[in-house]
Amino acid sequence: MKRNLILSAFAVAFSIFLLTSCSKDTTTIPDPTIGYLKLASGYAAGSATKVEIFATDSAFTGYNKFYIALTDSITGAFIENAQITLTPTMTMPMMSHSAPKENPSSTNAVDKLFPCSVSFIMASMSGTWTLAVNVQNLVNNKTGTVTFTINVKDPSLAKMFSFVSLADNTTKFFVGFIPPTKPIVGINDFEFVVYKKQTMMMFPADSSLNVSFIPTMPTMGHSSPNNVNPVYIGNGHYKGKVNFTMTGLWRMSMTFNAGTTLSDSTHYFDFNF
Amino acid sequence: MNKLLLISTCIILTITSFAQKIKIISANDSVPFIQLNEVTVKGLIKNQDQQIKDFIIANKAATTEDILARFPEINMIRRGSYGTEPLIRTYNTGQVNVLIDGMRIHGACTDKMDPATIYVEPQNLQNIQVNTKHGTQSGSCIGGTIDLKLVEPDSETTNQLSGYISSGYQTAAKSFYETGMLNYTKKRWSIRTNISYRKASDYKSGGGITIPYSSYEKINYGISAKYLLNNQYSIKADILMDDGWNIGYPALPMDVGYAAARIAAISLIKEKSNTKWFGTEYKIYANSIYHLMDDTHRKNVAMHMDMPGHSKTFGGYMNTNLQLSSKQNIHFRADISSTDLMASMTMYQNNQSPMFMLTWPDNRSIQSGLSATYKNYIDSITTITLSTRIDQFINSLKTQAAKDQLSILQEPTETISKTLKNISVELSHYINPHLKGFVVASYAERMPTASELYGFYLFNAFDNFDYIGNTLLKKENALKADLGVVYTKPKLQLSFSVFASKVNNYILGIYDPTYSTMTIGAQGVKLYRNIPYAQMTGLEAGIISKLTNNVQLISTFKYNYGRDHYNNPLPLIAPFKNITSLKKQIKNWSFQFETETAAAQNRVSVDAKENTTNGFFIANTRSSYSGILYKKAYRIDVGVENIFDKAYKEHLDWGNINRPGRNIYIQISFAF
Ligand SMILES: [Cu+2]
Ligand SMILES: [Cu+2]
Repeated sequence: MKRNLILSAFAVAFSIFLLTSCSKDTTTIPDPTIGYLKLASGYAAGSATKVEIFATDSAFTGYNKFYIALTDSITGAFIENAQITLTPTMTMPMMSHSAPKENPSSTNAVDKLFPCSVSFIMASMSGTWTLAVNVQNLVNNKTGTVTFTINVKDPSLAKMFSFVSLADNTTKFFVGFIPPTKPIVGINDFEFVVYKKQTMMMFPADSSLNVSFIPTMPTMGHSSPNNVNPVYIGNGHYKGKVNFTMTGLWRMSMTFNAGTTLSDSTHYFDFNF
Repeated sequence: MNKLLLISTCIILTITSFAQKIKIISANDSVPFIQLNEVTVKGLIKNQDQQIKDFIIANKAATTEDILARFPEINMIRRGSYGTEPLIRTYNTGQVNVLIDGMRIHGACTDKMDPATIYVEPQNLQNIQVNTKHGTQSGSCIGGTIDLKLVEPDSETTNQLSGYISSGYQTAAKSFYETGMLNYTKKRWSIRTNISYRKASDYKSGGGITIPYSSYEKINYGISAKYLLNNQYSIKADILMDDGWNIGYPALPMDVGYAAARIAAISLIKEKSNTKWFGTEYKIYANSIYHLMDDTHRKNVAMHMDMPGHSKTFGGYMNTNLQLSSKQNIHFRADISSTDLMASMTMYQNNQSPMFMLTWPDNRSIQSGLSATYKNYIDSITTITLSTRIDQFINSLKTQAAKDQLSILQEPTETISKTLKNISVELSHYINPHLKGFVVASYAERMPTASELYGFYLFNAFDNFDYIGNTLLKKENALKADLGVVYTKPKLQLSFSVFASKVNNYILGIYDPTYSTMTIGAQGVKLYRNIPYAQMTGLEAGIISKLTNNVQLISTFKYNYGRDHYNNPLPLIAPFKNITSLKKQIKNWSFQFETETAAAQNRVSVDAKENTTNGFFIANTRSSYSGILYKKAYRIDVGVENIFDKAYKEHLDWGNINRPGRNIYIQISFAF
């Protein structure tokens, strides 16, 4: 009798547990920003929208992947429909200039966030970086802008370099490395972006370069076999395959050609994993 | 030659090794083979084969590999004073099957520092069976099988407790060899335990030059117990352990910091039988090897590295025989095993992550095989033996990391499955009462090794290349022929055998200039490839002659030859060699004078960057005294090896490193 009681109590407790855990699943919203670092937050005045910038790392010289979260300034609900325009500006004592960027490619959020990028072309040492985020909230149809100050540091291993093409001695290119997110001893994506400096304020994506590269381990002096040279895949992105035969510090020595004319072959990306 | 020298030819020996009680089927085939254990335990009793044993185990402190090196069929690759690698004739390690008591065991070193033979001391051994004719009986292989049969506890001794101790010293490496054995038997039980300890310093080569990094230290210990279940069956358990520290490999850039082997087996043996089935044995076994390479003792190392390796094997087999008629019998063997291998390398440099890679990406090889050997004693002078075997191999990469890493090579990383077929036929015939001839024809296949399939930038110090495996390798297959004669007179035995083979899809490292080396200082990268074929031939000959009543001469000769499909010499082919021993017995004393002569090897492989080797001549003397003290037997062995302190090396010695110079040894043994 006693045993039966205990058993039935247990059965009831268990079914309650099942029910509650099920209902929990349907009501709880997993936080889409978990795992990211918040770089800045503020209100885009006039749009009733709170703007937060997330990234996997603090801002650095190079290609920074950002994830913008928009929330209603009153309800706190995520706004998943908006037109976002980024304007990075560096203000220096004598001048100011912009940087290459990628606005969110769509007005629809991806997993509640708007992926975008800014390629800071120098650190915040000799000037101040600001990032103006213009939000056209398509839910309430209000528009506003918020401007953040971003502290940009040089990473220990450079992730961006620039060169003036040897082909015409005029065109200046910025090349930003997009390291593999989960590097393995094996075949990895090798991706980077190329922007051309048109004016101080305009850095359009460039698709004109032929790229080859050799990965080596600088402390050991060896390379790896069967790498695939990056090719242009759109929006300034080039993608190929790099084979890491072991962990450690790898150096991708780059060669850029304009057609068949050498453009630059003096730069490299270092990657340590 | 193998007729003469104790080498297993076929089923007969396998049967005798099951249990001494099973009679050898035909006197014609009663080939003497080595009872190592007898030499050490009952070494005081001289029997007919004692001379051959004394020839093979010349130095009583010999290691298993020293003993193997005296077999005419065996050549040893030497990288240091310990851990030499046995080859049969011209066949390399991947082509030869090395078993410990029928068990499969795989070294844990990617650089082949630890052939299975390193983990077994002569103390552990009942006998060594080298099977070149029907070697595929116990595993698909091209070159033959070396089976190191473990000694069983002695249940027939008159003393309940018996044993021996032995202690010795050798001057060339200032080395000690200490060993002891205890055997206990009571009613249905018999238990045997033994321990051996060796410690050697850097040895002096001819001319007194010390060879750095040639020292080693190791201990080997084991226990085996046998229990008679009833008057038919007995059960036996064996545990064998071996630990080595700071084993130097002067011909390699690294040494062994620590190596450990753990070997265990349980067998069920049908000792007696009144049915047609006899000599039945079931065994399950497991062994594990851990191997840690070390370069911290080396000077001027560009970058220190850790290189651990693991090998784990589980398996089981069944042996049995069926007597079909008084003249015909079949030996069956069924076996299965699974071997896991994994080895890695980590290097350290400031300001970067540790540099880690898998040198043997975690892999597993599952093997299962069936063999049958039919023997027909057609009449008193003619015997036919037919041996067949089929093997199934399933090799796979065990982890995603292993697959990721090998995918760099753009080869398939899926499971590899191969069926291997082997067949050999032997006809032996007495041409006249003194002259016996035999002819063997065989077809054999072998599986590529783990290194050949999966090796990732394995450095080979021999040619100074990094080697990369290839999962697309085809199995090697060989067509082989053996021909031999044995001439026997009461005081003279002459033997001669010649072999020839063509190995198709021969696996060889081929230089690929597009790859860059991993190892700092290596010359390039070689990829394992099947070349169309390689051809090999060679001969062995022997003389055993009783010159007078107490003077005996034993002399062995061997010669090997190998070439690839372009007619280029194959690497690591031993040149002509002769060992001659003259022994005189005076009462309890025995005196032995011995010479070793090798021709130069000028046929060398250019692709393997192989150097020519000069010929050499060295002389040794050995003597022993056997006596009785308080009714207990004792024996003293004293000898001088390389009397003239010649600076010499054999062709299969790597790294231009000379062998030990003059070595004076003494070993004192006491049995009770
Ligand atoms: Cu490296
Ligand atoms: Cu090793």
